[in-house]
Amino acid sequence: MSRKIKDNIVKSIIYLATAITLSVLLFILGFIFVKGIGLVNWDFLTRDYNEKVFYAFTQSEEIPMSIDTDTLSKNTPYDDRYETLTEGPIYIENIGAAVSKISYKNYTSEKEQFVISYIEKGSPLLNAKDSTGATINIKTDFILESINGESFENLTLDEVVSIISSQSGDLKIKVVQPGGGIKSNIITTLYMVLISLLVALPIGIFGAIYLTEYAKPGRIVNIIRFAAETLAGIPSIVFGLFGMAFFVVALNLQISLISGSLTVAIILLPVIIRSTEEALKTVPMAFREGSLALGATKLQTIFKVVLPCAVPGIATAVLLSIGRVVGESAALLLTAGTVSQIPGTLFSPGSTLTVQAYYIAKEEGNIELACAIGIVIIVIVIVLNILSRITSDKLDVFNKK
Amino acid sequence: MDKKIKFNTKNLDLFYGDFQALKSINMEIGEKEVTAFIGPSGCGKSTFLRCLNRMNDLIDGVTIKGEILFDEKDINGDIDVINLRTRVGMVFQKPNPFPMSIYENIAYGPKCQGMKDKTQLDTLVKESLVKAALWEEVKDRLNKSALGLSGGQQQRLCIARTIAMNPEVILMDEPTSALDPIATAKIEDLMSSLKKDFTIIIVTHSMQQAGRISDKTAFFLMGEVIEFNETPIIFTNPNDKRTEDYITGRFG
Repeated sequence: MSRKIKDNIVKSIIYLATAITLSVLLFILGFIFVKGIGLVNWDFLTRDYNEKVFYAFTQSEEIPMSIDTDTLSKNTPYDDRYETLTEGPIYIENIGAAVSKISYKNYTSEKEQFVISYIEKGSPLLNAKDSTGATINIKTDFILESINGESFENLTLDEVVSIISSQSGDLKIKVVQPGGGIKSNIITTLYMVLISLLVALPIGIFGAIYLTEYAKPGRIVNIIRFAAETLAGIPSIVFGLFGMAFFVVALNLQISLISGSLTVAIILLPVIIRSTEEALKTVPMAFREGSLALGATKLQTIFKVVLPCAVPGIATAVLLSIGRVVGESAALLLTAGTVSQIPGTLFSPGSTLTVQAYYIAKEEGNIELACAIGIVIIVIVIVLNILSRITSDKLDVFNKK
Repeated sequence: MDKKIKFNTKNLDLFYGDFQALKSINMEIGEKEVTAFIGPSGCGKSTFLRCLNRMNDLIDGVTIKGEILFDEKDINGDIDVINLRTRVGMVFQKPNPFPMSIYENIAYGPKCQGMKDKTQLDTLVKESLVKAALWEEVKDRLNKSALGLSGGQQQRLCIARTIAMNPEVILMDEPTSALDPIATAKIEDLMSSLKKDFTIIIVTHSMQQAGRISDKTAFFLMGEVIEFNETPIIFTNPNDKRTEDYITGRFG
């Protein structure tokens, strides 16, 4: 066989491999986008996952509608993938709001409900208080279930409107804040990133400083490096088990934000140590010598000259770490829980986006919603990557000429 | 000679592991003179220079025997290393300004010693740059990065940075070997003007440079000082055959 033919065969294998890699990648991303993109909207991002039920207390007050009925009927904050408008909207003066009847259907449930579709300025609903006296921020989309003890169940919209209109004076309205969103998961994820980095970054950076600047090369350093490399290769479920046994049980931190963050911080440590070490090693010896020759101490040299030069490398470490935290699921499932709520304290549980995606796909069988979460995760990772790229460029001392 | 002795080394041996890089060096270096070390590559002249402010401490596996007296005090015992380095400054072969602004580069040393006063720092920065003949070129860009300067300017900045510490001795390790002839000439001029105030010890590969700027010259070969004498004597009438061979270019 001539050399040329051999070359061409090898070349085509190389092209083929590249094409396969690229198309698999694009296919996966495309699949997730196509499946999930229909579900990603503002409500999805800003609503809590669970519905919330309130009793709202307010005073009835006659408020005339300031828009015409055409505009009112166009004012439809319905999610047409789950919701179909069956009746309305009809404006009710004594609560200063319009109500529609909507049939709601998703994978697990199907029901008819009365939804606020428009709130007039000055409406008594806007200054409604709950039983503790705190203001409830009633918005369009909220579901009305009863007023002054009269339930709306199985009624038509006209009947509901007449019940509401006949009320006067004090009103006690049962409202439901709709769920189905992932706001709490986004916030939990961001908390998780923040806390685990706060813990892991200083420890990792100081560890790397010890290894590159202080430790004499030899056995101990090699053992530490080997340990760090091994830790980096251990599957995260093992860390999750450790976190569960140690943080959750032994330290009695419960399944909580802090248990999850500390577990993830341990997962991050090897990554941060390795990349910071590499960054420190690339700082020219000449800078250290120059600084020491000016009578600076070793610590001054490290903090004023060496570390600033290593910032781009450390930023890479941060970037990799953020990716790890956002992508972590197995360890968090065991240590931070699957409760979709914004953690009120460090010691309350919360589920991150990945855990929520797992939960929704596995427990509810709702692949599309899980894919929608996947899209959000991808977008968050991309945004964080771009941000860290920009900061590391800004902080790069060698860029400023 | 009534000149004060700044550095006095007695039977100085230096080993990199098992390899002996310096063999029993005895040398007296006078105050406010320019002393040049010449010799072929690997002869130990840079190693010896780096002994004088203990930069060899940074290298693993270096053992030093013998004594180095700085103002009659042992630098390996009686003087704290940080204190020593503030009094014995060093300029390196490759310009190594820190990746910060020109101002910060000069203010770095004094700040590390705890100088905080802004006006005091401002004057010091200006004085040092004027002494290093760099002020006119950089006075409008003090807050720009030092990495934007040319090689020659960077080296003068490194000299200015060293001067800012007001040291007694300035060690220069082939300070012009990475520079073009014009930048080299500027640095040589600078050295002649600095010798009024500072003791200068310079390692150089250029014999012309040693001849032009130094008062005394030491010729190193294989870790030994072959000859140490007034520069004119070394260059015109050396005592040792090997010195003559090196200077006339028969080897090296």
